[in-house]
Amino acid sequence: MKKRIGRGILLLSAFVLVVTTLIHAEGKREEAKFPTKPITVLQGFKPGGGSDALAQLVQPFLEKKLGVSFVNQYIPGATGAIAWTQLAKQTKNDGYTISITNTPMLMTNYIMNPEITYSVDDLEPLANIVTDPGIIVVGKNSPFQSVQDFLNAVKANPGKITVANSGVGGDDFFTTLIFQKETGLKVQMVPFDGDGPSWQAAMAGKVDVSFNNLGVTYPQIRAGNLRALALFAEKRDSMIPEVPTMKEIGFNIIAGSSRGYSAPKGIPEQIKKVYLKAFEEVAKDPALISAANARALPMDVKIGEEYRVYLKTQEKVFKEIWNEVKSQYSVK
Amino acid sequence: MIINNILLGFSNILQPFNLLLVIVGSFIGIFVGAMPGLSATMAIALLLPLTFGLPPASGIGMLASLYMGAMYGGSISAILIRTPGTPAAAATVLDGYPMAQKGMAGKALGISLTASLVGGVLSSIALLTIAPALGYVALEFGPVELFAVAVLGITIIGSLSQGSTVLGLLSGAFGLLLAMVGMDPITGTPRFTFGLINLFSGIPFVVALIGLFSIPQALRLIEQGDDGTQVISRIQDRLLPAWKEFRSLIPTILRSSVIGIFTGIIPGTGGDTACWFAYNEAKRFSKRKAEFGSGVPEGIAAPESANNAVVGGALIPTISLGIPGSSATAILIGGLMVHGIMPGPTLMSEYAEVTYTLIWAVFFSNFAMFFIGLLFTKGAIIVTRVKNKVLAPIIVVLCVIGSFSINNSYFDVIMMFLFGLLGYVMEKVKMPTAPMVLGLILGKMMNNSLYQSLLIGHGSWLIFLKSPIAVILFIVSILSILQSTPLIRFIKGKFK
Repeated sequence: MKKRIGRGILLLSAFVLVVTTLIHAEGKREEAKFPTKPITVLQGFKPGGGSDALAQLVQPFLEKKLGVSFVNQYIPGATGAIAWTQLAKQTKNDGYTISITNTPMLMTNYIMNPEITYSVDDLEPLANIVTDPGIIVVGKNSPFQSVQDFLNAVKANPGKITVANSGVGGDDFFTTLIFQKETGLKVQMVPFDGDGPSWQAAMAGKVDVSFNNLGVTYPQIRAGNLRALALFAEKRDSMIPEVPTMKEIGFNIIAGSSRGYSAPKGIPEQIKKVYLKAFEEVAKDPALISAANARALPMDVKIGEEYRVYLKTQEKVFKEIWNEVKSQYSVK
Repeated sequence: MIINNILLGFSNILQPFNLLLVIVGSFIGIFVGAMPGLSATMAIALLLPLTFGLPPASGIGMLASLYMGAMYGGSISAILIRTPGTPAAAATVLDGYPMAQKGMAGKALGISLTASLVGGVLSSIALLTIAPALGYVALEFGPVELFAVAVLGITIIGSLSQGSTVLGLLSGAFGLLLAMVGMDPITGTPRFTFGLINLFSGIPFVVALIGLFSIPQALRLIEQGDDGTQVISRIQDRLLPAWKEFRSLIPTILRSSVIGIFTGIIPGTGGDTACWFAYNEAKRFSKRKAEFGSGVPEGIAAPESANNAVVGGALIPTISLGIPGSSATAILIGGLMVHGIMPGPTLMSEYAEVTYTLIWAVFFSNFAMFFIGLLFTKGAIIVTRVKNKVLAPIIVVLCVIGSFSINNSYFDVIMMFLFGLLGYVMEKVKMPTAPMVLGLILGKMMNNSLYQSLLIGHGSWLIFLKSPIAVILFIVSILSILQSTPLIRFIKGKFK
C-alpha cells in the first residue's frame, strides 16, 4: 500500500515537471505575446480611497481589452511613497507590475523629504486618466459671494484669512503656495487630514475658505452647502459653468490632482506599446467616459510621452516653489 | 413624505434577496470582526467591487450589515482569548476575559451580544428618525472641538489604570509619545522615523494593539502550561442574561448607546474611541468601581453597546450630509458614488428609496447579527477547551496575519512583535497596557487638532474658550480629574 502511494507521488511529480517545462517553453517561445498572466497594480493608498476609485473605474475596461485580470495590491503609508519606492527600486520591469501614480504626491514626496529616494526618472509613465482641477470653495453662509470678495478680504487682512488644504505636500497645499506667489497676497494656511475634513471645515465656517478639488466638492456645491468661487483650470467646467477660472480674474494658476498609471523604468518596448495602445483605446470608450462622469471624476487623458512631460514640468514647478518656502517649514 | 419613504424602504428590505444579503453581510462581519487584524473597514473596501453588480441599496446594505456584525464579532476573541478582534473591542477585554476565566465565557458573550443588539437597534432608530437633525452636529466638531474631545479622552487614562495609578499614567504618557512618531501634520517634517519611510505615517495603532494585547497573552498561556487548573466554560451555559440581570444593565446600555451614537457622529472618531468612553462612564456611575477589571457585566455591556451604536451614529452625517462619520462609512460613500449616487443632502430626498432601504438594512442587521451570534457563540466557546500549547501558537499566527494584512507590510509584523515584547515586559512590572493604546489613538488627533486650532486662532489659545462645545468638554475633563483627587472627597465629607 505504502509502496503504491510512493509510486503515485513519483508519477505525479514527473507529470508536474513535464507540464511546467512545457508551460515554461511556451512562455519563452511566445515572449512577444503580452500579457499572459494577471497584472499587479500597486496602490500607495488604502482601499476605498481616490486611487482605488480610479482602479475600479479603469481596470474593468483594461481587463476586457487585454484579456487578463488586474490584481490590486494596497501598500498604504508615507503618502504613497512606500508603494512608489517599491515600484521604482524593487519591482521586476517585466511589465506585470504597474502602479497608480498620483500627482503631486508622486513628486512632492521626494522633493520635500531627502529620505525618500525614488524619482519620476525611475518610472515609465504610461497614462494619466483623471485630473481633478483645483477649486476655491466657501460655506453657504460665508460673506464671500465672489472670488473678488475673497481677494479683497485677503488684501485688507494680510495673513488673517484662514484657508484649509488637504495636508502638507498635497495638491491644495501647493496650490495655496502658488496662489500666494502669483497674487502676492498672504493667507493663513491650515492643513487638514484629507480633502473631506478640509471642505467640511469650510462648510461649518471653522475656516474662511477651502482650496479643494472640483470632483470632491461637487455634490456639496450642487446641494448648495458649498459655494464655488473660482476654478484653477484652463477653462470653465461644464459641471459648474457659472464659476470663473482664476485665469479670467487675471492670475494664471492651473492646479489640480491627477491620477494615472506608471510602470518601472525599462520595461520592454513591445510591452510598453501594448499598454499605451490599451490605455488610448480604453480612454475613448464612451462607456468609460459616462462612468467617469457619473462618479465626478474629470477625465484628462495623457498617454506615454505626454504624461512624462507633464510629470517633469510639474516636478520643476513644485521644486521651485518648495525651495522658496522650505525655510519656513523644514526645521532641519 | 418621510413616512412614505420609510415605508417604501421597509417594503424594499423585506424582499427575500435583500434580507439574504443582510444575513450574509452580518455573518461575514462577525467572522471578520472575530479575526484580530481583519477589520470591518478592510472587509468593506475589499468586498465593495463585488457589490457593483447589485442594486445600490442591496449592495451597500450588505456592507453596512457587515460593519454592524464586525462590531459584535470583535468581542468574541476579546472575551475568549484576550485578543480584541477589532480596535473597537479593546475595552471589552478588560472585563470580558476575566469573566471567561471564571468559567463564564458563555455568559460574557451573551451579555456582549445582547448589549450589541440594543446599542445597534437604538442607533438604527436614531438614524431612521432624527438623522437630519443630528447630522449637523457633525459639522460643529472642528479642530477646536476635536481637541477638547481628545483632552477628555486623556482623562480616561487615569481611571483605566488598574493597580498603580502612577504606572498607568506613565503607560498613557508613553502612548502619547509614540503617537508623535511620523510625519508632522503641519510642517511635513518626519519625527523619530530614523530614515525609515515605513514610519512616515506613524505607528499604526492596530499593529500596536495586536502586539500589546495578544503576544503577552500567548506567552502567558505557554508559561501556564496545561496543568489542568484552567476553568473550562460549559457550552450548555445559558447565553442570554436573565431578565433580572439584564434589567440592572439597562442604565449602562442606554448611556453607552448614547455615547456611541454621538462618538459615531463626530467625524474622525469611531468605535475605537467610543468603547473607552463608554467603559469609563460605566465605571464612573457604578457603585462597585473597584470590581471593574475583574469581570463585571457592566464592563462588557458598556463598550459593546457603544461600539454597535457607533454604526448608526456614523451613518447619520453620512446620509444626511455626505460627511463620513468614520473610516468605514467613508468607503460606503465611495461605493454610492460608483453607483452614480452623489453623496450629500440629496440622499434623503432624491435617492430616498435607496437611503431608506439602506437604513432598514442596518436595522435588520441587528437581528441577523443577534441570531447568527447565538449560533456562532455556542461553537466559539469550544476555544476555551483548546489546550494552551495549541492555542498559544494559533494566537501568534493570527497576530502575524492580522498585522501584515493592515498595510501588506512585513515591517508591521516586526513592529507587532516588538510591541508584543514591550507588552510582556509591561505586564511583568504590572504596568497596564490599555492606557498606552488610548494614548496612541488620541495622541495623533490631539497633536493635529491643537496645531490646527492655533493656526485658525492665529496663535491665540483663547480660541479654545470661544467654542461652547469645547468649553463644556473642558469643564467635564476638569471635573473628571478632580473626582479622583482627595478634594472632592473632602467637599463631599463637608456636606454630609
